[in-house]
Amino acid sequence: MWRDICIWLAETATIFNKEWRTELRTRYALNTVGLFAFTTLVTTTIALGPAGISEPARPFVVVLLWMILLFAASAGLPRTFVHEEESRTAMALRLMARPSSLFCGKALYNLVLIFSLELLVAPLYIGVMQLPIGSMRHFVLALLVGGFGLALGSTLTAAMVAQAEAKGPLFAVLAFPILLPLLKFAIDATLAATADQSLLIARGEVALTLGILYDGTLMVAALMLFPAIWNP
Amino acid sequence: MHHLYRSYGRLRVLRDVSGAVETGEVLAVTGDNGSGKSTLLRCLAGLMAPQKGTIVCRLEGRELDVIERRRAVGYVAPDLEFYGELTTLENLQFACRLRHLDDDRAGHLLQRVGLPLNRPAGKLSSGMRQRLRWAWALLHRPRILLLDEPLQNLDAKGRDEVLLLLTEQLENGLAVIANPDPLELPNVARHLHLAR
Repeated sequence: MWRDICIWLAETATIFNKEWRTELRTRYALNTVGLFAFTTLVTTTIALGPAGISEPARPFVVVLLWMILLFAASAGLPRTFVHEEESRTAMALRLMARPSSLFCGKALYNLVLIFSLELLVAPLYIGVMQLPIGSMRHFVLALLVGGFGLALGSTLTAAMVAQAEAKGPLFAVLAFPILLPLLKFAIDATLAATADQSLLIARGEVALTLGILYDGTLMVAALMLFPAIWNP
Repeated sequence: MHHLYRSYGRLRVLRDVSGAVETGEVLAVTGDNGSGKSTLLRCLAGLMAPQKGTIVCRLEGRELDVIERRRAVGYVAPDLEFYGELTTLENLQFACRLRHLDDDRAGHLLQRVGLPLNRPAGKLSSGMRQRLRWAWALLHRPRILLLDEPLQNLDAKGRDEVLLLLTEQLENGLAVIANPDPLELPNVARHLHLAR
Protein backbone atom coordinates (compact mmCIF):
# COMPACT_ATOMS: atom_id res chain seq x y z
CA MET A 1 0.00 0.00 0.00
CA TRP A 2 2.69 2.49 1.12
CA ARG A 3 4.89 1.41 -1.82
CA ASP A 4 2.01 2.05 -4.26
CA ILE A 5 1.53 5.54 -2.82
CA CYS A 6 5.26 6.28 -3.20
CA ILE A 7 5.22 5.05 -6.82
CA TRP A 8 2.16 7.18 -7.55
CA LEU A 9 3.76 10.25 -5.97
CA ALA A 10 6.98 9.69 -7.96
CA GLU A 11 4.99 9.47 -11.22
CA THR A 12 3.04 12.63 -10.35
CA ALA A 13 6.29 14.47 -9.56
CA THR A 14 7.78 13.27 -12.88
CA ILE A 15 4.83 14.70 -14.82
CA PHE A 16 4.99 17.96 -12.83
CA ASN A 17 8.75 18.31 -13.49
CA LYS A 18 8.30 17.62 -17.19
CA GLU A 19 5.56 20.27 -17.42
CA TRP A 20 7.80 22.91 -15.85
CA ARG A 21 10.87 21.91 -17.82
CA THR A 22 9.04 22.21 -21.16
CA GLU A 23 7.29 25.40 -20.02
CA LEU A 24 10.53 27.09 -18.96
CA ARG A 25 11.99 26.35 -22.39
CA THR A 26 9.03 27.70 -24.39
CA ARG A 27 7.53 30.11 -21.80
CA TYR A 28 4.23 29.90 -23.67
CA ALA A 29 1.86 29.74 -20.69
CA LEU A 30 4.00 32.07 -18.55
CA ASN A 31 4.05 34.72 -21.28
CA THR A 32 0.37 34.35 -22.15
CA VAL A 33 -0.87 34.42 -18.55
CA GLY A 34 1.57 37.17 -17.53
CA LEU A 35 0.83 39.38 -20.51
CA PHE A 36 -2.92 38.98 -20.14
CA ALA A 37 -2.78 39.80 -16.43
CA PHE A 38 -0.51 42.79 -17.02
CA THR A 39 -2.66 44.20 -19.85
CA THR A 40 -5.94 43.89 -17.95
CA LEU A 41 -4.36 45.29 -14.78
CA VAL A 42 -3.02 48.34 -16.60
CA THR A 43 -6.31 48.87 -18.47
CA THR A 44 -8.31 48.64 -15.25
CA THR A 45 -5.97 51.02 -13.47
CA ILE A 46 -6.10 53.58 -16.27
CA ALA A 47 -9.89 53.36 -16.50
CA LEU A 48 -10.81 53.21 -12.79
CA GLY A 49 -7.89 53.81 -10.44
CA PRO A 50 -5.93 54.80 -8.56
CA ALA A 51 -8.22 57.37 -7.04
CA GLY A 52 -9.42 55.07 -4.28
CA ILE A 53 -12.81 53.45 -4.30
CA SER A 54 -16.09 54.32 -2.72
CA GLU A 55 -18.11 51.73 -0.78
CA PRO A 56 -20.70 51.17 -3.55
CA ALA A 57 -17.89 50.48 -6.05
CA ARG A 58 -16.15 47.88 -3.80
CA PRO A 59 -18.08 44.80 -5.08
CA PHE A 60 -17.39 45.87 -8.64
CA VAL A 61 -13.64 46.10 -7.97
CA VAL A 62 -13.62 42.66 -6.28
CA VAL A 63 -15.49 41.07 -9.21
CA LEU A 64 -13.00 42.68 -11.58
CA LEU A 65 -10.10 41.08 -9.70
CA TRP A 66 -11.60 37.62 -10.21
CA MET A 67 -12.35 38.37 -13.85
CA ILE A 68 -8.70 39.23 -14.40
CA LEU A 69 -7.63 35.99 -12.70
CA LEU A 70 -10.22 33.88 -14.57
CA PHE A 71 -9.40 35.17 -18.04
CA ALA A 72 -5.64 35.14 -17.49
CA ALA A 73 -5.96 31.52 -16.35
CA SER A 74 -8.20 30.66 -19.32
CA ALA A 75 -5.57 32.02 -21.67
CA GLY A 76 -2.77 29.76 -20.46
CA LEU A 77 -4.05 26.80 -18.46
CA PRO A 78 -5.91 24.82 -21.19
CA ARG A 79 -2.60 24.33 -23.02
CA THR A 80 -1.60 21.48 -20.67
CA PHE A 81 -3.59 18.84 -22.55
CA VAL A 82 -4.29 20.57 -25.86
CA HIS A 83 -0.56 20.83 -26.58
CA GLU A 84 -0.07 17.09 -25.89
CA GLU A 85 -2.72 16.23 -28.51
CA GLU A 86 -1.59 18.81 -31.05
CA SER A 87 2.07 17.83 -30.86
CA ARG A 88 1.08 14.12 -30.85
CA THR A 89 2.91 13.38 -27.59
CA ALA A 90 -0.35 12.23 -25.97
CA MET A 91 0.05 8.72 -27.41
CA ALA A 92 3.35 8.14 -25.61
CA LEU A 93 1.83 9.50 -22.39
CA ARG A 94 -1.14 7.15 -22.73
CA LEU A 95 1.26 4.22 -23.00
CA MET A 96 3.42 5.24 -20.03
CA ALA A 97 1.51 7.13 -17.40
CA ARG A 98 -1.29 6.21 -15.05
CA PRO A 99 -4.30 8.51 -15.67
CA SER A 100 -4.54 9.58 -12.01
CA SER A 101 -0.86 10.57 -11.71
CA LEU A 102 -1.02 12.30 -15.10
CA PHE A 103 -4.03 14.35 -14.05
CA CYS A 104 -2.56 15.25 -10.66
CA GLY A 105 0.84 16.18 -12.16
CA LYS A 106 -0.79 18.51 -14.65
CA ALA A 107 -3.25 19.93 -12.10
CA LEU A 108 -0.33 20.61 -9.74
CA TYR A 109 1.50 22.46 -12.51
CA ASN A 110 -1.61 24.57 -13.20
CA LEU A 111 -1.98 25.16 -9.47
CA VAL A 112 1.54 26.56 -9.17
CA LEU A 113 0.92 28.69 -12.25
CA ILE A 114 -2.30 30.16 -10.87
CA PHE A 115 -0.91 30.72 -7.36
CA SER A 116 2.06 32.55 -8.91
CA LEU A 117 -0.39 34.64 -10.92
CA GLU A 118 -2.38 35.46 -7.78
CA LEU A 119 0.81 36.31 -5.91
CA LEU A 120 1.75 38.74 -8.65
CA VAL A 121 -1.64 40.24 -9.47
CA ALA A 122 -3.41 40.49 -6.10
CA PRO A 123 -0.93 42.78 -4.24
CA LEU A 124 -0.55 44.99 -7.32
CA TYR A 125 -4.31 45.21 -7.75
CA ILE A 126 -4.90 46.02 -4.08
CA GLY A 127 -2.19 48.66 -4.27
CA VAL A 128 -3.30 50.45 -7.42
CA MET A 129 -7.02 50.22 -6.68
CA GLN A 130 -6.48 51.06 -3.00
CA LEU A 131 -8.81 48.20 -2.11
CA PRO A 132 -9.22 48.04 1.68
CA ILE A 133 -8.64 44.61 3.24
CA GLY A 134 -10.63 44.03 6.43
CA SER A 135 -9.31 40.52 7.05
CA MET A 136 -6.08 39.53 5.33
CA ARG A 137 -6.50 35.90 6.49
CA HIS A 138 -9.87 35.62 4.75
CA PHE A 139 -8.58 37.39 1.67
CA VAL A 140 -5.65 34.95 1.32
CA LEU A 141 -7.94 31.98 1.98
CA ALA A 142 -10.37 33.20 -0.69
CA LEU A 143 -7.51 33.42 -3.18
CA LEU A 144 -6.27 29.93 -2.25
CA VAL A 145 -9.71 28.29 -2.46
CA GLY A 146 -10.60 30.11 -5.68
CA GLY A 147 -7.18 29.41 -7.23
CA PHE A 148 -7.33 25.72 -6.33
CA GLY A 149 -10.75 25.35 -7.98
CA LEU A 150 -9.69 27.36 -11.02
CA ALA A 151 -6.62 25.14 -11.55
CA LEU A 152 -8.56 21.91 -11.05
CA GLY A 153 -11.55 22.96 -13.17
CA SER A 154 -9.30 24.27 -15.94
CA THR A 155 -7.25 21.04 -16.00
CA LEU A 156 -10.35 18.86 -16.25
CA THR A 157 -11.93 21.09 -18.91
CA ALA A 158 -8.64 21.15 -20.85
CA ALA A 159 -8.59 17.34 -20.89
CA MET A 160 -12.12 17.30 -22.36
CA VAL A 161 -11.36 20.07 -24.87
CA ALA A 162 -8.19 18.31 -26.06
CA GLN A 163 -10.28 15.39 -27.37
CA ALA A 164 -12.52 17.65 -29.45
CA GLU A 165 -12.08 18.90 -33.02
CA ALA A 166 -13.03 22.55 -32.38
CA LYS A 167 -10.87 23.34 -29.36
CA GLY A 168 -11.02 27.16 -29.32
CA PRO A 169 -14.56 28.04 -28.30
CA LEU A 170 -15.17 24.80 -26.42
CA PHE A 171 -13.04 25.70 -23.39
CA ALA A 172 -15.21 28.71 -22.50
CA VAL A 173 -18.43 26.73 -23.03
CA LEU A 174 -17.32 23.78 -20.89
CA ALA A 175 -15.51 25.81 -18.22
CA PHE A 176 -18.48 28.13 -17.63
CA PRO A 177 -20.78 25.69 -15.73
CA ILE A 178 -17.83 24.10 -13.89
CA LEU A 179 -16.26 27.35 -12.69
CA LEU A 180 -19.35 29.54 -12.20
CA PRO A 181 -20.33 28.26 -8.68
CA LEU A 182 -16.70 28.43 -7.60
CA LEU A 183 -16.35 32.02 -8.79
CA LYS A 184 -19.52 32.95 -6.90
CA PHE A 185 -18.07 31.54 -3.65
CA ALA A 186 -14.64 33.10 -4.27
CA ILE A 187 -16.14 36.54 -5.03
CA ASP A 188 -18.40 36.38 -1.92
CA ALA A 189 -15.46 35.38 0.27
CA THR A 190 -13.21 38.11 -1.17
CA LEU A 191 -15.97 40.68 -0.80
CA ALA A 192 -16.35 39.75 2.86
CA ALA A 193 -12.59 39.90 3.39
CA THR A 194 -12.48 43.44 2.03
CA ALA A 195 -15.22 44.57 4.42
CA ASP A 196 -14.50 45.67 7.93
CA GLN A 197 -17.65 44.27 9.50
CA SER A 198 -17.81 41.07 11.52
CA LEU A 199 -21.23 40.14 10.07
CA LEU A 200 -19.89 40.26 6.52
CA ILE A 201 -16.77 38.30 7.53
CA ALA A 202 -19.03 35.58 8.99
CA ARG A 203 -20.85 35.44 5.65
CA GLY A 204 -17.48 35.17 3.96
CA GLU A 205 -16.65 32.16 6.11
CA VAL A 206 -19.79 30.43 4.84
CA ALA A 207 -18.71 31.22 1.25
CA LEU A 208 -15.21 29.91 2.01
CA THR A 209 -16.62 26.66 3.44
CA LEU A 210 -18.81 26.22 0.38
CA GLY A 211 -15.79 26.93 -1.82
CA ILE A 212 -13.71 24.30 -0.02
CA LEU A 213 -16.56 21.78 -0.38
CA TYR A 214 -16.87 22.62 -4.07
CA ASP A 215 -13.10 22.18 -4.56
CA GLY A 216 -13.29 18.78 -2.81
CA THR A 217 -16.21 17.67 -4.95
CA LEU A 218 -14.44 18.86 -8.09
CA MET A 219 -11.30 16.94 -7.07
CA VAL A 220 -13.19 13.67 -6.53
CA ALA A 221 -15.22 14.14 -9.73
CA ALA A 222 -12.08 14.94 -11.74
CA LEU A 223 -10.23 11.85 -10.49
CA MET A 224 -13.25 9.68 -11.31
CA LEU A 225 -13.96 11.24 -14.71
CA PHE A 226 -10.45 11.72 -16.01
CA PRO A 227 -9.66 8.07 -16.90
CA ALA A 228 -12.82 7.97 -19.04
CA ILE A 229 -11.91 11.25 -20.75
CA TRP A 230 -8.29 10.27 -21.33
CA ASN A 231 -8.85 6.68 -22.42
CA PRO A 232 -10.74 5.65 -25.54
CA MET B 1 -7.42 -11.39 -31.31
CA HIS B 2 -10.78 -12.77 -32.28
CA HIS B 3 -13.13 -11.34 -34.94
CA LEU B 4 -12.19 -7.66 -34.52
CA TYR B 5 -14.34 -4.96 -36.07
CA ARG B 6 -13.58 -1.25 -36.03
CA SER B 7 -14.93 1.64 -38.10
CA TYR B 8 -14.54 5.43 -38.15
CA GLY B 9 -18.07 6.71 -38.57
CA ARG B 10 -19.37 4.95 -41.67
CA LEU B 11 -15.93 3.94 -42.86
CA ARG B 12 -15.28 0.31 -41.94
CA VAL B 13 -11.60 -0.30 -41.36
CA LEU B 14 -11.32 -3.65 -39.59
CA ARG B 15 -13.71 -6.43 -40.61
CA ASP B 16 -13.58 -9.75 -38.83
CA VAL B 17 -9.82 -9.75 -38.20
CA SER B 18 -8.49 -12.72 -36.25
CA GLY B 19 -5.02 -13.99 -35.49
CA ALA B 20 -2.62 -15.14 -32.80
CA VAL B 21 1.06 -14.95 -32.01
CA GLU B 22 3.20 -16.77 -29.43
CA THR B 23 6.44 -15.93 -27.63
CA GLY B 24 9.43 -15.92 -29.96
CA GLU B 25 7.27 -15.34 -33.04
CA VAL B 26 6.55 -12.46 -35.33
CA LEU B 27 3.12 -11.84 -36.81
CA ALA B 28 3.57 -9.85 -40.03
CA VAL B 29 0.58 -7.72 -40.98
CA THR B 30 0.52 -6.39 -44.54
CA GLY B 31 -2.03 -4.46 -46.58
CA ASP B 32 -2.48 -1.39 -48.72
CA ASN B 33 -2.65 2.12 -47.28
CA GLY B 34 -5.93 2.52 -45.42
CA SER B 35 -6.44 -1.22 -44.95
CA GLY B 36 -6.43 -0.86 -41.15
CA LYS B 37 -2.91 -1.94 -40.14
CA SER B 38 -2.32 1.03 -37.84
CA THR B 39 -5.85 0.74 -36.42
CA LEU B 40 -5.22 -2.93 -35.65
CA LEU B 41 -1.99 -2.10 -33.83
CA ARG B 42 -3.68 0.71 -31.88
CA CYS B 43 -6.37 -1.76 -30.82
CA LEU B 44 -3.73 -4.29 -29.78
CA ALA B 45 -1.86 -1.63 -27.79
CA GLY B 46 -5.07 -0.65 -25.96
CA LEU B 47 -5.03 2.86 -27.45
CA MET B 48 -8.32 2.19 -29.20
CA ALA B 49 -11.13 -0.20 -28.41
CA PRO B 50 -12.46 -2.53 -31.11
CA GLN B 51 -16.21 -2.12 -31.60
CA LYS B 52 -16.65 -5.87 -31.80
CA GLY B 53 -14.41 -8.81 -31.00
CA THR B 54 -11.92 -9.56 -28.24
CA ILE B 55 -8.21 -9.18 -27.65
CA VAL B 56 -6.66 -11.56 -25.16
CA CYS B 57 -3.10 -10.91 -24.04
CA ARG B 58 -1.44 -13.36 -21.63
CA LEU B 59 1.85 -12.64 -19.96
CA GLU B 60 3.35 -15.30 -17.70
CA GLY B 61 0.00 -17.09 -17.63
CA ARG B 62 -1.91 -14.01 -16.50
CA GLU B 63 -4.39 -12.12 -18.66
CA LEU B 64 -3.66 -8.39 -18.87
CA ASP B 65 -6.38 -5.76 -18.80
CA VAL B 66 -6.27 -2.79 -21.19
CA ILE B 67 -4.31 -0.48 -18.86
CA GLU B 68 -1.75 -3.20 -18.07
CA ARG B 69 -1.45 -4.04 -21.77
CA ARG B 70 -0.75 -0.42 -22.63
CA ARG B 71 2.09 -0.19 -20.16
CA ALA B 72 3.46 -3.59 -21.12
CA VAL B 73 3.83 -3.15 -24.87
CA GLY B 74 6.68 -1.58 -26.79
CA TYR B 75 5.14 0.54 -29.52
CA VAL B 76 6.67 2.10 -32.61
CA ALA B 77 4.43 4.10 -34.94
CA PRO B 78 4.83 7.02 -37.34
CA ASP B 79 2.40 9.16 -35.33
CA LEU B 80 4.26 8.68 -32.06
CA GLU B 81 6.06 11.92 -31.20
CA PHE B 82 8.27 13.24 -28.41
CA TYR B 83 8.71 16.58 -26.65
CA GLY B 84 10.53 18.80 -29.12
CA GLU B 85 11.75 21.12 -26.34
CA LEU B 86 13.47 18.28 -24.49
CA THR B 87 16.66 16.53 -25.60
CA THR B 88 16.66 12.88 -26.67
CA LEU B 89 18.12 11.94 -23.28
CA GLU B 90 15.57 14.00 -21.33
CA ASN B 91 12.72 12.45 -23.33
CA LEU B 92 13.89 8.94 -22.52
CA GLN B 93 14.70 9.78 -18.90
CA PHE B 94 11.15 11.08 -18.53
CA ALA B 95 9.92 7.71 -19.83
CA CYS B 96 12.36 5.86 -17.53
CA ARG B 97 10.99 7.66 -14.47
CA LEU B 98 7.39 6.96 -15.42
CA ARG B 99 8.28 3.30 -15.93
CA HIS B 100 10.41 3.16 -12.74
CA LEU B 101 13.61 2.31 -14.58
CA ASP B 102 17.15 3.41 -13.92
CA ASP B 103 18.02 6.63 -15.85
CA ASP B 104 21.18 4.94 -17.22
CA ARG B 105 19.00 2.75 -19.43
CA ALA B 106 18.09 5.85 -21.49
CA GLY B 107 21.70 6.70 -22.32
CA HIS B 108 22.52 3.06 -23.06
CA LEU B 109 19.68 2.68 -25.57
CA LEU B 110 20.41 6.00 -27.26
CA GLN B 111 23.96 4.80 -27.84
CA ARG B 112 22.65 1.47 -29.19
CA VAL B 113 20.49 3.22 -31.79
CA GLY B 114 23.25 5.73 -32.56
CA LEU B 115 21.58 8.94 -31.42
CA PRO B 116 23.21 12.01 -29.82
CA LEU B 117 22.21 12.45 -26.19
CA ASN B 118 21.78 16.19 -26.02
CA ARG B 119 20.02 17.15 -29.23
CA PRO B 120 16.47 18.50 -28.82
CA ALA B 121 13.97 15.97 -30.17
CA GLY B 122 12.42 18.75 -32.26
CA LYS B 123 15.67 19.11 -34.18
CA LEU B 124 16.04 15.47 -35.19
CA SER B 125 15.76 14.31 -38.78
CA SER B 126 12.93 11.90 -39.65
CA GLY B 127 15.34 8.94 -39.59
CA MET B 128 16.68 9.99 -36.18
CA ARG B 129 13.13 10.37 -34.87
CA GLN B 130 12.46 6.79 -35.96
CA ARG B 131 15.56 5.63 -34.05
CA LEU B 132 14.28 7.53 -31.00
CA ARG B 133 10.93 5.71 -31.32
CA TRP B 134 12.77 2.40 -31.27
CA ALA B 135 14.81 3.39 -28.21
CA TRP B 136 11.65 4.57 -26.45
CA ALA B 137 9.77 1.37 -27.31
CA LEU B 138 12.55 -0.92 -26.00
CA LEU B 139 13.21 1.05 -22.82
CA HIS B 140 11.26 -1.22 -20.49
CA ARG B 141 12.37 -4.47 -22.22
CA PRO B 142 8.82 -5.23 -23.38
CA ARG B 143 7.78 -8.81 -24.06
CA ILE B 144 5.27 -7.57 -26.65
CA LEU B 145 6.37 -5.33 -29.50
CA LEU B 146 3.87 -3.63 -31.77
CA LEU B 147 5.69 -2.09 -34.70
CA ASP B 148 3.91 0.03 -37.29
CA GLU B 149 6.14 0.62 -40.35
CA PRO B 150 9.20 0.07 -38.15
CA LEU B 151 11.85 0.63 -40.79
CA GLN B 152 10.35 3.86 -42.16
CA ASN B 153 12.96 6.58 -42.87
CA LEU B 154 15.86 4.46 -41.59
CA ASP B 155 19.09 4.21 -43.55
CA ALA B 156 20.78 0.83 -44.13
CA LYS B 157 22.87 1.14 -40.94
CA GLY B 158 19.84 2.12 -38.92
CA ARG B 159 17.87 -0.84 -40.29
CA ASP B 160 20.65 -3.26 -39.32
CA GLU B 161 20.83 -1.79 -35.82
CA VAL B 162 17.10 -1.97 -35.14
CA LEU B 163 16.79 -5.46 -36.65
CA LEU B 164 19.54 -6.61 -34.30
CA LEU B 165 17.64 -5.10 -31.38
CA LEU B 166 14.47 -6.83 -32.60
CA THR B 167 16.22 -10.20 -32.80
CA GLU B 168 17.50 -9.76 -29.23
CA GLN B 169 14.04 -8.82 -28.07
CA LEU B 170 12.41 -11.84 -29.71
CA GLU B 171 14.48 -14.24 -27.59
CA ASN B 172 11.98 -13.63 -24.83
CA GLY B 173 9.06 -11.91 -26.50
CA LEU B 174 6.84 -11.55 -29.53
CA ALA B 175 6.17 -8.90 -32.16
CA VAL B 176 3.35 -7.79 -34.41
CA ILE B 177 4.81 -5.88 -37.32
CA ALA B 178 2.67 -3.89 -39.76
CA ASN B 179 4.03 -2.71 -43.09
CA PRO B 180 2.46 -2.14 -46.53
CA ASP B 181 4.85 -4.66 -48.11
CA PRO B 182 6.34 -7.80 -46.58
CA LEU B 183 9.67 -7.11 -44.83
CA GLU B 184 12.61 -9.45 -44.53
CA LEU B 185 12.38 -10.06 -40.82
CA PRO B 186 13.56 -12.78 -38.45
CA ASN B 187 11.16 -15.31 -36.90
CA VAL B 188 8.11 -14.46 -39.01
CA ALA B 189 5.80 -17.34 -38.09
CA ARG B 190 2.44 -15.99 -39.18
CA HIS B 191 1.19 -13.65 -41.79
CA LEU B 192 -1.99 -11.60 -41.91
CA HIS B 193 -3.04 -9.64 -44.98
CA LEU B 194 -5.65 -6.92 -44.54
CA ALA B 195 -7.77 -6.04 -47.55
CA ARG B 196 -9.20 -2.57 -48.00
